[in-house]
Amino acid sequence: MDGITPQLLALQVFTGLALGAIYVLLAVGLSLIFGMLTVVNFAHGAFFMLGAYVGVFAAEQTGSFWAALVLAPLAVAAVGMVCERWLIRPLYGRGIDYPLLLTFGLAYIMVEGVRIGFGKSGLPFDTPELLQGSVSLGFADFPTYRLFVIAVVAALLLGLWLLIERTSFGLIVRAGARDPVIVRVLGIDVSRVWLLVFGMGTGIAALAGVLSAPLQGVSPEMGTSVLTVAFVVTVVGGMGSLMGAVVAGLLVGVVESLAVLFFPEAAKVSMFVLMAGVLLVRPQGLFGRAGLMA
Amino acid sequence: MTADPVIETRGVGMRFQGFTALKDVNVRIQPGILTSIIGPNGAGKSTFFNILSGALRPSDGRVLFQGNDITGTSPHQFAHIGIAKSFQITNLFPNFTALENVRIGLQAHVSRYGLWRRRALLQGLTEEAMALLDTVGLADCAQRPARELAHGQQRALEIAVALAARPRLLLMDEPTAGMSPEETRVMMDLIRKLVGERTVVLVEHKMKMVMSISERLVVLHHGELIAEGTPDDIRGNEMVRRVYLGQGQH
Amino acid sequence: MTTTIKAAAPPIEIGTRHPARRALRAIAKHRIAATFVVLAVFPWLMPYQSLAINILIYGLYAVGFNLLFGYTGLLSFGHAAFLGVGAYTAGILIAQHGTAWWLAIPLAIVAGCVVALAMGLLAIRTRGIYFAMVTLALSQCVYFLIYQLPASGGENGLRGVNVSEVSLLGLKLDLLNPMQKYYFVFAFVMVAMAVLSRILASPFGGAIEAVRENEARARACGFDVERTKLLSFVLSAGFCALAGALNAIHLSSVPIETLHYATSGMVVMLCLLGGMGTYFGPFVGAALLLLIQDTASAWTEHWQLYVGIVFIFFVLFFPKGVWGTLLERLNHDR
Repeated sequence: MDGITPQLLALQVFTGLALGAIYVLLAVGLSLIFGMLTVVNFAHGAFFMLGAYVGVFAAEQTGSFWAALVLAPLAVAAVGMVCERWLIRPLYGRGIDYPLLLTFGLAYIMVEGVRIGFGKSGLPFDTPELLQGSVSLGFADFPTYRLFVIAVVAALLLGLWLLIERTSFGLIVRAGARDPVIVRVLGIDVSRVWLLVFGMGTGIAALAGVLSAPLQGVSPEMGTSVLTVAFVVTVVGGMGSLMGAVVAGLLVGVVESLAVLFFPEAAKVSMFVLMAGVLLVRPQGLFGRAGLMA
Repeated sequence: MTADPVIETRGVGMRFQGFTALKDVNVRIQPGILTSIIGPNGAGKSTFFNILSGALRPSDGRVLFQGNDITGTSPHQFAHIGIAKSFQITNLFPNFTALENVRIGLQAHVSRYGLWRRRALLQGLTEEAMALLDTVGLADCAQRPARELAHGQQRALEIAVALAARPRLLLMDEPTAGMSPEETRVMMDLIRKLVGERTVVLVEHKMKMVMSISERLVVLHHGELIAEGTPDDIRGNEMVRRVYLGQGQH
Repeated sequence: MTTTIKAAAPPIEIGTRHPARRALRAIAKHRIAATFVVLAVFPWLMPYQSLAINILIYGLYAVGFNLLFGYTGLLSFGHAAFLGVGAYTAGILIAQHGTAWWLAIPLAIVAGCVVALAMGLLAIRTRGIYFAMVTLALSQCVYFLIYQLPASGGENGLRGVNVSEVSLLGLKLDLLNPMQKYYFVFAFVMVAMAVLSRILASPFGGAIEAVRENEARARACGFDVERTKLLSFVLSAGFCALAGALNAIHLSSVPIETLHYATSGMVVMLCLLGGMGTYFGPFVGAALLLLIQDTASAWTEHWQLYVGIVFIFFVLFFPKGVWGTLLERLNHDR
């Protein structure tokens, strides 16, 4: 294996971390939504895609990438909350398959809607000027934008952690994830929490979409391919675990990037091999709890 | 003096992520009688029940059934070795009729993977299912979907389905939960009828009921066995009195 | 308690006087014959036979999926893998190895079952909530693997699956004639439906419904729930693989889209729109969806949007699907 220098390796690992950071965002959103609402959000990829498109649109309209970074997640979160309130909530009593099916149908409509509104072939998106180029970190040069992505995700995770572990809202989310009855007994309006959590989850997915726009452009299909990855990361990390989402997301990103280097033909399949391995050894996921909602 | 136990636990303990639910529980259940497991809330009764029924695998210790070590046996095998249970929260097949509920329980012992023959033709299952429904007093509800039955009827059906496993040991988790006094009386009569040819182990909260129908009692507290004996023994037991002080008697 | 889904056969009602219900009971008892009659007459009712053949094939695809979802209660989002494996196996054998159709088709079914065994062993041992996600992921894996296989033709799909004439026991069918091609496919579908009927009426049929109704109770009764699910998964894949093989012969090719996530999603929609857990529902769903597609795509290229809206509408208000709701209304008319 000639030509693989330590610099190249470091660069690939770093690329993997940046890629993984996006995956982490997706998995965290999925886990939040499932943990609180017991809904496997099959529209998560579609919200990611919607976020990317709204981000592109907002950037064009305002001329600022930074504005898009803030506006797009908020706008998509609003859409998400409307969906939760009117489409998904009626199905909570019916068993876990129905909300799942609804989100699947929702994704279908969202993708078609975007195709109608923005065309089928997708749109390019340039990396904002400030973040172009690369930064020299000791022995190798790392693309600035990817560094930025990692930084944003890390900041968001910190904020999320503080919210969940240190605030009363976070307490409700944690309690609700385990025992909705207790939350209701405490006199809190659970439905408001459902709304906010779904909004948060989809908003985070949208943020991931905006962040990934400079990396791969935007297309109506981008949500579908990323949904698979989000699911793999969730299964590997364990649903409902923040730590699991972080570890698994980064792991999948790095494995994929290294596979491109060492086994290019198997790169696409590498994450499935990882998933199969985890399922054989620890079916509930690396950080998942066995027996919860078996 | 005592016969070989039908089921016994030796040094059984159960830990859940740092929390110890049961510790070193040694219990011998005598055959052909009704034993009740009692204790205040959080004593570990449900955990112990789940270990006896195979739903949980103990962290420590062994479980022996009729002399054989069954620790770690797959949950679904328990019905085949002769242990059946009725759940605390009614757990039936909601859209099956009462008859079908019992019949499928019987079928599990005749054929589980048969792909070719018509199951309606399996000899005798329908008659035996009707007989079991009759035992629990539900013969006239045979064709009604389980979800349409009244709560007390569903609890009775729960027992009929458990009996479909032709068990030597019948485990019942709070069989009278949510029942009116009248329904409780009917259920108690039924349970009395079932003891003798089978061993019955009950987990219950209603002390008056437990004291009147049990032949032996097992008392748990904070996951440990604190007393075992006849109802009179238990009534006179100082520790048990202290543990239940303030809990009130049913 | 799970959702209320009708059991395969309507409950035996004592003293049914309603003529529609009596007719329904008679039909249910002879469901194979009834299906035979309806499907035999079907192509004469359709504007063109190709549509009828598509409905038949996608109906069979949905039948396989329904065995797992409607009857066993497991929601898989990866069934395109079985449709695809069946199609590519039959396609490659016929187009590149000159295998006879009567050997290629059974081999395609076997291939589908083998892939299902591998997928099922991974997907079933995990927590139930992961099942939809794992099946989706694993079928994407199958897609990538087959895509890279030189024999599959990659993006362009497989071409040259030419079976122009079949003869068996003296009977000759010209597959270039659409009507005769329909009856060729019809023969296989009827055999499959007969097999399905036997499976549903068998002890195993009772076992899978018990697992769907209440997994914990089924386990307590003595059913090995994991093994039951796995067997159902494999059988389900067999039906889908057959549909794939027939499709390869029908189109004389296998498009790579057969393995896409969209194809997995499509069968989910077919099954729900038609009626989960019913014998004939899948064909109703296939007819509904393909007819919508056929008519709507003439007016607008965005017919998929309308399908999606209809689907959501059904999920919210008619979860039993067209056929399932119809059966329910007829059976519970008091």
